[in-house]
Amino acid sequence: MTSTTRRTGLLIMVAALGGAVLISRWVFSSRGVPTSGASAVTIRIAEHRQPRIDALNKSIPRIEKQLGVTIKVIEYPAPEKDYMSKLLTELAAGNAPDLFTANFDSDVPDMVAAGYLAPITAEVKAWDGYDQLFDVAKKLSTSADGQIYALDSMLAVTQLYFRRDLLEKAGISTAQPTSWKDLLDRAREIKAKTGKYSLLLPAGIDWGAATFNEGFALFVPGSKTPQLANDDGTLNLNGEGVKDIFGLYKSLIDEGLMPIEPLLGPQPWVIPKYTMFPAGDLMATTCGTWCYIYDWGKDSKNPIPDVTKKVGTWAVPGMHGGLSVTVSGENIWAVNAKSTHLALAKKVLLALSSVRATVAYAQLLGNIPARKDAADDKDFQALTELVPVLKGVDHGTFLKSAPGFSVVAEGVARATEALLRKQTDAAGAQAILVKYVRDLLGNKVVK
Amino acid sequence: MIGLHKFTRAQAIAYGFLTVTVVFCLLPFLWVVLASVDPNASLFLSIPKGITADHFIKIFTAQKGARWFLNSLVTVGAATALVVIVGGMGGYALSRTNAWWKRPFLYAIILVRVVPPTALIVPLYKVMLFANGVMGALVRSIVPPDHVRSTMHIFGFVDGYFGLILVLSAMQLPLALWIIKTFFDLTPKEYEEAALMDGANVFQRIHRILVPLALPGLGAAGLLAFIGAWGDFLMPLTFISSPDLQLLPIGLFRAFQRANILDYGYLSALALLYMLPAVVAFGLARRFLVQTFTGGIKG
Amino acid sequence: MSRPYESRVAWQNRMLLVPALVLLACFILIPAGAAVYISFTNDALTGFAAAHPQFVGLKNYARLFSDDGFWNSLVVTFFFVFGSSIVGQFVLGLASAVALRQPISFRPVFNAAILLPNAVPEVVASFIWISMLAGGKYSTLSRIVGLFGIPSQNWLESVPLLMIIVVNTWRGIAFAMILMTSGLSAVPAEVYEAARMDGATPRQIFWRITLPLLQPTIFLYMLVSTAGTIAIFGLIYTLTRGGPGGATEIIGIYIYNQSFTAYQLGYGSAVAVIMLGVSVALGAIYVRVLKVQV
Repeated sequence: MTSTTRRTGLLIMVAALGGAVLISRWVFSSRGVPTSGASAVTIRIAEHRQPRIDALNKSIPRIEKQLGVTIKVIEYPAPEKDYMSKLLTELAAGNAPDLFTANFDSDVPDMVAAGYLAPITAEVKAWDGYDQLFDVAKKLSTSADGQIYALDSMLAVTQLYFRRDLLEKAGISTAQPTSWKDLLDRAREIKAKTGKYSLLLPAGIDWGAATFNEGFALFVPGSKTPQLANDDGTLNLNGEGVKDIFGLYKSLIDEGLMPIEPLLGPQPWVIPKYTMFPAGDLMATTCGTWCYIYDWGKDSKNPIPDVTKKVGTWAVPGMHGGLSVTVSGENIWAVNAKSTHLALAKKVLLALSSVRATVAYAQLLGNIPARKDAADDKDFQALTELVPVLKGVDHGTFLKSAPGFSVVAEGVARATEALLRKQTDAAGAQAILVKYVRDLLGNKVVK
Repeated sequence: MIGLHKFTRAQAIAYGFLTVTVVFCLLPFLWVVLASVDPNASLFLSIPKGITADHFIKIFTAQKGARWFLNSLVTVGAATALVVIVGGMGGYALSRTNAWWKRPFLYAIILVRVVPPTALIVPLYKVMLFANGVMGALVRSIVPPDHVRSTMHIFGFVDGYFGLILVLSAMQLPLALWIIKTFFDLTPKEYEEAALMDGANVFQRIHRILVPLALPGLGAAGLLAFIGAWGDFLMPLTFISSPDLQLLPIGLFRAFQRANILDYGYLSALALLYMLPAVVAFGLARRFLVQTFTGGIKG
Repeated sequence: MSRPYESRVAWQNRMLLVPALVLLACFILIPAGAAVYISFTNDALTGFAAAHPQFVGLKNYARLFSDDGFWNSLVVTFFFVFGSSIVGQFVLGLASAVALRQPISFRPVFNAAILLPNAVPEVVASFIWISMLAGGKYSTLSRIVGLFGIPSQNWLESVPLLMIIVVNTWRGIAFAMILMTSGLSAVPAEVYEAARMDGATPRQIFWRITLPLLQPTIFLYMLVSTAGTIAIFGLIYTLTRGGPGGATEIIGIYIYNQSFTAYQLGYGSAVAVIMLGVSVALGAIYVRVLKVQV
């Protein structure tokens, strides 16, 4: 290489570097990134869906002042499935923000096994809010190894919600169903007397992990297989209980008691929950505490006026009796194991689990803070739909999550998809679930 | 005008067929054009009751649309430049050389062109993960912890400008190499040889003689690389997550996914803006289209 | 000049190719090889396998062959390629090319209009077709077919595969037209003259002379278009995400869904390896049969 070549090459490199510096200054000029190099640390939080982002933004100025940090909210894709895909790809790349939520308790064990989450056991136990946590929240947040990797700062109570007003008008009993047979008979009666869809359970692949968490899982406690995860890491998927639940699905699908077509497309809950239920074309569905506010509240797509009077709740009956009210985690905050500011991130996590922060989410989304002292908060007391739920939350049951639950959730989604498309029966659906989990996790895992 | 007595049956059929085809081709665009100036735009085709430029203005005042556009411009522009430079050098070498590796290399380029990016995306993701880890370690050792993230936004392989530019370039490179090689094949060697006789070195040869001669080829390759990278959806979908780095196609897609807060007028204006550079580049590159599509069969 | 001229030039040529080689190797060749390796592991985005992927041999391939979703995506891809590329785009493109060779005016306008669908980015194309197809009775298509008495429906849910074939046909007419035009212009005018003097009708000329002479071009078109259509992702993903219950899950979308939505990177790689194999086979045919000049 001659000297001219070398000189020109050098010039090009300098120009490129200079360009990169200029661009980076421009790119970040409108960001709140501290350029002074002083000790203002930035903690990045991932959040998705506008109401959640709004709720988070309410608490940020207060937390920033309290802890002396700068907080930046990174908006992730909105639909739950896309959010989790993006989060996982970023976690694997080591790029993920310092703080984020898991969608469901079932997501957490697998993220722990992948090494994505930092343990927060010591910090949570030393926290002054720890004693205020409901026992259920403590149990849900604790992993099989006794450590805490993600904090269930809020809870949702999932049960059956029904149109009390329309059932009464049609002369159908609104008493609590006492068994699966009773529930099915009630659904059949609704269809016969009103001609509308009677009971919706989330199903199918497009509904994602909620098919399991907000549908299938609710019937597990009352089935012949009350827990799916064993302490030795195996999963009880081959038993009668699982088959019976698929049988319940099959009856609802084959007898036309639940809508099928919307469940085969993207965002399958939109039509049944935001259009059919308020319009009275669907009489009952599984739903959670968020439904009073997020799905049918005054800011929702098709609000139901006087929603607490018109929409009643039933606990989920057991197969032959007994009732269960399933409690699951919400706002399950976790810290990125690769965060460069672990201690500070953990402090922010605890700040986000304070009464005021969780009540902000409760106002916009309708879940309940996982703390007893939330009952004393004035803003929470104004949420009259939620106050009674908070009182009773410690009486709920919950499904123990374990590593592999992401795969189980996907397997259940696929099995119910086959049922939706009328390709198989209950035993066949179970076979699909078992095969899928075995293929991915190994034969020994499924009992 | 066509005199009616000259209207043969063949012409009538041709006009008829073409008219139907053109309507089929243009009809879908009608909605997006109307919606972009419709103050009450909805997803459905309707005649606007008034005309407004608000949607276009909002693109530049409301943060996001302008940001996406700028990101696309920077990354795709840089990728195009990289493709033209690297492809220019490579295409020249491929054309002029007679070494043993010439044929295998060219066959390899054809095979690579046939490979769908969707088949590569998973292993590519793992490769980028690895590279990102290395880059991350490097950056962390140089830059104070507070600025690590911002630096990785630029130099990272996953969720960073650098990685995305490289990936976009690599995807467009095979075609560019082929086009430029073909062009140099048609360029007589006499000019270079004359310059060599005069004592010019490689760099001067490139700068003073080859580049002006090959400008049409470089231009064609550049335009087609631009069009390809501008429309690329899979790469930014997989590798970008920060809203600050988001490119136009993904921004448009995600905005559209928010089922309840959709401003169709704004999105339509944005779509038109997104469409514009691609259409312009396509128009300029039309002459070279046959070349692209035959991939070298014309020699 | 310390080395002989030829070897210096040879060395320079090699150096000029190095950056291209590096880019291609890093982002295409190495991933292609890595796909094979990853397909033999149980790598995933979450769970224990994410941190410690293990070698599982041919298990992913075994799962492939018994997975309905995989076969479904092959069938969908087949119909998609056949319907839009081999039939739709070809017929309309050839017809357009023939039509544009007639002595008519406004040729550039027709040309530009047919080119436009191909010029716009995929996301814009799917965006405008959503307006055409979604929304039941409000969609543009419903309103149009309403004039013919066909009931309006949710097109993307009732006939999703047909719809994506239509959309891709719409998008690719230009490509076929351009190739056919260049093929047609390579037919010498004397051939037509001679045929006309022998009294052949336009129909006979087309079927017995034009088409056979176009064969190499047609073959080339089929090959390139098939390869290109198999690679489609963004257009259909943004339109249907793989469609109601996998009805439009072409192979590219199937790979993406398995890898990033179901988190199974190992399995996704196995499907990708199969796709790579098919593409390489297509490329090999391309190179051999068409005797590409290098």
